[in-house]
Amino acid sequence: MIRLALAQMRRSLPRLVSAGIAILIGTAFVAATLVAGNVITRTSYDAIAASLADADLVVLAQQITADDVDTLRAADGVAAADGQLELWTEVRAGGERAYPRATVRASDPRLEAQELTAGAFPAASGEVALPEPLADRLEVGVGDTITVVRELWDEGGETSTDASEVVTVVGLTDDPSGAFAQSEGAVIADAEDATRWYAQDYGGAAPSYETAVVALSEGADVETVRAELAQALAPTVPDARVQTKQERAEDLTAQVTGDSDALTGIVLGFAAVALLVAALVVANTFQVLVAQRTRMLALLRCVGAEKGQIRRSVLVEATLLGLVSSAGGLAAGLLLAQGTLVVLGNANPDVPLPAAVPVTPAVVLVPLVVGTLVTLVAALAPARAATRVAPLEALRPADQPVGLRRAGRTRAVLSSLLVLGGVGLLALGVVVSGTEGGVMVGLPIGILGGTLSFIGVVVGAVLWIPRVVSLAGGLLASTGPSARLAAANTLRNPRRTSATSAALLIGVTLVAMMSTGAASARATLGNELASQFPVDVLVADPDISPDGPDDAEADLTPALLERLAGIDGVAATGATVTVTTAWADDAGDLGWLELRALAPDDATTLLRAPDHAAGLADDTVVVARDDAERSGVVDGDTLTLTVDGGEPVQRTAHVTDFPTGLVVTPATLAAMGVDLPANEAWLRLADDADAVVAMDDIQELLSEVPVQVMGAALERVAFEGIVDTLLAVVLGLLAAAVVIALIGVANTLSLSVIERRRESATLRAIGLTRGQLRASLAFEGSLIAGVGAVLGIVLGLAYGWTGAMTVMRALGAVSLEVPWRELVIALVVAVVAGLLASVLPARSAARTSPVEALAVE
Amino acid sequence: MTFTASPTPSPLPGPTGAPRPAVHARGLTKVYGSGASAVEALVDADIDFAAGEFTAIMGPSGSGKSTLMHLLAGLDSATRGRALIGDVDITGLDDRSLTRLRRDRVGFVFQSFNLLPMFTAEQNIVLPLDLAGRELDRDWFDTLVSTLALTDRLDHRPSELSGGQQQRVAIARALIAKPDVVFADEPTGNLDSRSGAQVLSFLRRSVRELGRTVIMVTHDPSAAAYADRVVLIADGRIAGEITDPTPEAVLAGLDALRSFDEVAVR
Repeated sequence: MIRLALAQMRRSLPRLVSAGIAILIGTAFVAATLVAGNVITRTSYDAIAASLADADLVVLAQQITADDVDTLRAADGVAAADGQLELWTEVRAGGERAYPRATVRASDPRLEAQELTAGAFPAASGEVALPEPLADRLEVGVGDTITVVRELWDEGGETSTDASEVVTVVGLTDDPSGAFAQSEGAVIADAEDATRWYAQDYGGAAPSYETAVVALSEGADVETVRAELAQALAPTVPDARVQTKQERAEDLTAQVTGDSDALTGIVLGFAAVALLVAALVVANTFQVLVAQRTRMLALLRCVGAEKGQIRRSVLVEATLLGLVSSAGGLAAGLLLAQGTLVVLGNANPDVPLPAAVPVTPAVVLVPLVVGTLVTLVAALAPARAATRVAPLEALRPADQPVGLRRAGRTRAVLSSLLVLGGVGLLALGVVVSGTEGGVMVGLPIGILGGTLSFIGVVVGAVLWIPRVVSLAGGLLASTGPSARLAAANTLRNPRRTSATSAALLIGVTLVAMMSTGAASARATLGNELASQFPVDVLVADPDISPDGPDDAEADLTPALLERLAGIDGVAATGATVTVTTAWADDAGDLGWLELRALAPDDATTLLRAPDHAAGLADDTVVVARDDAERSGVVDGDTLTLTVDGGEPVQRTAHVTDFPTGLVVTPATLAAMGVDLPANEAWLRLADDADAVVAMDDIQELLSEVPVQVMGAALERVAFEGIVDTLLAVVLGLLAAAVVIALIGVANTLSLSVIERRRESATLRAIGLTRGQLRASLAFEGSLIAGVGAVLGIVLGLAYGWTGAMTVMRALGAVSLEVPWRELVIALVVAVVAGLLASVLPARSAARTSPVEALAVE
Repeated sequence: MTFTASPTPSPLPGPTGAPRPAVHARGLTKVYGSGASAVEALVDADIDFAAGEFTAIMGPSGSGKSTLMHLLAGLDSATRGRALIGDVDITGLDDRSLTRLRRDRVGFVFQSFNLLPMFTAEQNIVLPLDLAGRELDRDWFDTLVSTLALTDRLDHRPSELSGGQQQRVAIARALIAKPDVVFADEPTGNLDSRSGAQVLSFLRRSVRELGRTVIMVTHDPSAAAYADRVVLIADGRIAGEITDPTPEAVLAGLDALRSFDEVAVR
């Protein structure tokens, strides 16, 4: 049967190519992910091993005291032993500051993880060696001084004072193996200083270590010393464990890479999606191959082939295809990873990355086995169909239509159950996560519900996608005969059309879901930020206040505001006056609050959430909801506001979500008898502004002015950056699935073209022009792709919103956003790709001579 | 019934001559391949097909009868000579014009029916008009459908129709655009004899009652006997014709060809 399978493969090679490419992309994805996971593990291991320097043994315990370290040093066969201090410190030089890790100079060069590049290691109190990147940042070199700042907490831990000491930089170091990669190297201090700093941090305690590293004397046996050390420490440190350096590094790596393993797992999840889509493409291909070979298969059955032999020939073919494609995918994945490694290595010379991808047996075997299995499993149903070919069919006329099985009732029931159950779980997830601390319970329920319902949707695809396609085709049909032909053709093989559409549906659903989720997260958290930080940037001049110094200079001049407004990215500026006011309602005094005077026009342009100043007018006062609720003030109450030494005024309260205090108009403030220059400037950044650049410019402009700059612009940017980066990564990962699905569309079309050769010829004979034939296939491609994309978008929106509700309900009101841009792009890409996918098949169809219609097989 | 061993075609009709034939060919030649491996499928065919006539082209397998039809219908390009439908010389047309010509002026009936499986009988019948974007002539449609006894089959898809019904739908499709000529290629080849007879009498009725022109290729003498005239082809040459044929006469004509061949070979 292998010979038969090979012969058939040779005949069908062009038809197998796209299925092969689909598998190739999927397995390349798997291989690259596994390699990436390995690189992370290897890099972590190297860094951890490096932090242990050339130590031979590592001692671990809850608490190792300096005496215990001395015990270690005294033991036979030990050349040196050091405790590893967990110490962080703040350092300053000029206007710069940093918070690096700090360590003690090792007692033996073998235990020193960092290398000296200039000067010397510290030899006395008051000397330090700095990592080169840190020295660069602080703009200091050997011989310069820096200030070490430590926060000293009082006994209750309530208040702190800063203790600072000036130390001299005596050396510069490099951290070649990334031992202290988190802080770009560690400050090396003299033991005396380090001991004092430690005491300052830990309420006067003498240094104690969780880890001690040991270097052995020449010729000492590791295992002998290990046993001896364990014995020596037993009386004072009963929980001490002595490990070899390698054991320790492996342990730590496992801890550290736990996270990255989870990450690898998530990425593999996306790879699984890509492979699932590839499986649909493969199943489609084999289904068509079997249909095309019906006559030949029947002939084989006539001359004595058994059902098992027929099935095996299809499965052997699938296995070969899977093996070859997976091998290609493996090679592609490794190349991709290697390329990435080279690029990364060049871009970040400081990060110690391996030069070549670590190829383990798992990296090679997993993609091969998974890719081959997926192909094989996808071919099972077509293989079964092949065995159902009766010998009799060899004798039937060639173009007798192959009877289509009607999609089963079982499938409908299963699909409905999955969808209903899944939707139920989704709803439950949303409800549960709305309760206090329910997110951690609601989210898994929601994920389970989403997965089940989506499986239900895909399982039932063959039942309902044809209906949607027919509906969409009906709409298209009015545009002309080509569209009518296309619409009719898509319905001829509902199973194939559904599988093709569903493949795209999967990818697009996930893309739309992620985009929707991200947009909703951005909007929801953006609102959250807006209510905490009502303006993007706030510049305050604290010297200007009614009780401030009389000769205080007003710094926030209109000229300065104008210059601020001129900065690229600043959309609007406005000046406000903030004073402290007493407020009272009919029932009596309510205490003191911050009161801002703001023109209603400025409020709308400057506030992130303009409804924060809703109702602001000359006869009203806006009250922050928190303050109003605390004081029992409601909308419509009459409030009396009095500034020290001013006139009391009465205004009507309007409670809004403004975060704090009161807001009135400048006219009201004047009526209160306050006559102050502006002491706050509010800046609104343009929505498309680069906030980092704008903030830098603002800081620079204000560097000479004694004012404070605050605001949420940077937080917002940082946050949106995280969401956008995550989204970009996820969409990139999902792109593989979409690309495979589009290959599937091209595949389906070209298979259809081959199947419909005679029909195309007939149509050409009775007057279909080549252009109309091409147009008809273009319509067909975009119809299949468009339906998959539109349904995917609808489903993705639903899932994205549900997900956003589940995750973020705890934060308050969730804004459900529609990421129009992403959705439109997804739709356009799908439809255009559907059109493009039709180009090659259409060319081959248009080449069909009308004479073929007359041919008789 | 008359039998002429080598028919003499009338000269091309002049301005004052007899009515123009629906289809005619002059010196039509098709050679496949070139050099030593060249095969002459059709050599210097001169032939006229009058409008309103039902003609059968007969000959043994490989005689060139299919090639003649392909060339006359504009499905294949001639090596030499001219083929005209009405007064249009189709040998010089490009693909687009040929497609238009086929759409507007030629109908086809195929041996394997070649209906589009996803369309109903009615949709199949009106397809040529649909492709051309032309209005349907309801009266003509009704006439065709009732003549071909398809009235209660219009909503059926091809898979729900018998072979004879499918071929009747195909005939209606061929006639719907009122073409100058209908080419039928072995229209009874896939039918049992009763359905075949029905289809042939429908073809004859469409000529006699509806005034169409039909050119049918067949190798079945009893099918050919339904025609007004039988053109015999052998070895790529027009070898004779029989007017008002009977099956026996056609058989006799074929036998004559065979013996003629044998004589020629000797």
